[in-house]
Amino acid sequence: MQETAIKVQNLVKNFGKGDNLVKVIENASFEVKKGELVALIAPSGAGKTTLLMMIGCVQEPTSGEIWLGEEKVYDNRWSAKDTRKIRREKIGFIFQAHYLIPFLNIIENITLLPQTNKVSEKAAKQKAMELLEYLDIADKAHAMPSQLSGGQNQRVAIARALANNPQIILADEPTAALDAQRSISVIKMLKKIAEEQNVAIITVTHDDRILPYFDKIMKIENRGIVFHELEGERVI
Amino acid sequence: MIDLAKRDIEHTLGKFLVTAMGVGMLLGIVLIMIGVYRGMMVDAEILLDDISADLWIVQEDTLGPFAESSRVYEDLKDIIYVMEGIETSEAMTFQNIQLPRAEKPVRVVAVGYDIRGVINPINPKRLIAGRDIKNDHYEIVVTDKTGFKLDEKIKLGRNFYTVVGITHSTVSNGGDPLVYISLKDAQDLQFSYSNKEIQNNEARGVKNSETFIVNVIVARIKSGYDVEDVAKEIRKWQHKSVYTAEQQKTILTKNLIEKSAKQIGLFTAILVVVSTIIIALIIYTMTLEKMKEISIMKLMGLPNSLIISMIVKETLLLGVFAFIFGNIFAHLVYDRFPKRIVLEIPDAWGLFGVVVIASILASFVGVKKVISADPSAAIGG
Repeated sequence: MQETAIKVQNLVKNFGKGDNLVKVIENASFEVKKGELVALIAPSGAGKTTLLMMIGCVQEPTSGEIWLGEEKVYDNRWSAKDTRKIRREKIGFIFQAHYLIPFLNIIENITLLPQTNKVSEKAAKQKAMELLEYLDIADKAHAMPSQLSGGQNQRVAIARALANNPQIILADEPTAALDAQRSISVIKMLKKIAEEQNVAIITVTHDDRILPYFDKIMKIENRGIVFHELEGERVI
Repeated sequence: MIDLAKRDIEHTLGKFLVTAMGVGMLLGIVLIMIGVYRGMMVDAEILLDDISADLWIVQEDTLGPFAESSRVYEDLKDIIYVMEGIETSEAMTFQNIQLPRAEKPVRVVAVGYDIRGVINPINPKRLIAGRDIKNDHYEIVVTDKTGFKLDEKIKLGRNFYTVVGITHSTVSNGGDPLVYISLKDAQDLQFSYSNKEIQNNEARGVKNSETFIVNVIVARIKSGYDVEDVAKEIRKWQHKSVYTAEQQKTILTKNLIEKSAKQIGLFTAILVVVSTIIIALIIYTMTLEKMKEISIMKLMGLPNSLIISMIVKETLLLGVFAFIFGNIFAHLVYDRFPKRIVLEIPDAWGLFGVVVIASILASFVGVKKVISADPSAAIGG
């Protein structure tokens, strides 16, 4: 039985007040298990990024509940005063572009967050090297991001997202800037990571070509979440 | 823990150093401005210290030869000499003249003194070549800054003077180089007219002036006498203004230099403010360039303190590097200025303190930007 990585119940997000009230998310509820790769799809402006920011503890919901693993992090208010600590310890992020810190080399980019979490420099470096080897770019450990290709940098960004042993990785259109072949290769990598590292990955995407590779597809429909079934065959 | 400031600076080292050099030049100018003030103070006291007189006796109700025009009869020195408590007294003249040079005339202050007297304004420590004036006429001792060489002939008035000695670092309180001539020559230069002028004056019925006029009588007092008591006695009987060395120094440093000092002080303060604003703008720009990275760091959960310490450290390092470059710049150019610039270590440390405070203040704009950075800006492109 797979453990729950994230559970969301009756999540609501409104912007504005009175006549200007805009309801973006209404009573969204879903659950993602560890080891699952889940796609989040919806038309532009439907609230994908807002949902991602709420479950990433960046934007405060209007109401509802969010669990990360066993810990209820939001119950009509954040459980911790410092939501950054939650992000630092439980969540990894992957962006459209790699967004590595340009003045740090690859290994420093990966070890920055664990070191902030009081992990020793030696242990953080060891873990970073393991991740780089896992992602097949260990030889670039001391290169600067500017010396790597886009694909290599995206793999480093994935390693960075994994460096703090997160329960959940939130990926914001990680294949948006890639061609079809590379997109599929990145998604396959994420799938492998989800399974092997036992982490839940929620990926916002617009790319229909990669949907068969996901375990689940969540769709924002009428401001709520529905699990979407693909018509074609799923690639396992 | 990774030193983010160090890594960022290493990444853009060239840009950082050029920026620091630019700010450093501004700080160098601040140091030079302070040096100008110090130089004025030193210049003001050179002649007073070299003459080393206890009393300065000048025309009544005037402030003395450096501040106001003063004329007294030369024989006043004999009257002063016989007064109780006076050890020695001498007559002296001070006048601005232009020494002709092929390229450009040199403006100087000529000190006329009794070459057989006890009080000699030429400090032997400053005489770097040649000798004192030995003959009553047509000999001149010049400062090296005038550019004249030993044995060179200089036309002054109707006569040619031979350079017999060269001094170093002797300037008037106004910063003009000093030259020394005999009292007799100085009186001729200052008070005798050309033949045409004499003819004109006679035609107008004006009696031509005497040349036994000097600008000041300087005196030293015997040991055991109080300078102020002797000065009081002279004021009482001779109807002259009498200043002690200390009072004369005050006239020079306070009355004459005070306005310049205030001007320099204001300039310096403005330059420090401008430097602070420039550092703040640079840090603001540097922070703006990193806003995406800062948003990502905040999104990942890095604490504000870590990012703020990077900004503050970078600002402080910029200030420190600028201070070092400023010092190098000031030391490279200070002796090219026509007037004396005195660069003193305590002033440099004072400026360092100001730079540190200014850098901390300047970093606030970057820190404010960091605090307001939205982590959600990292999501959604």
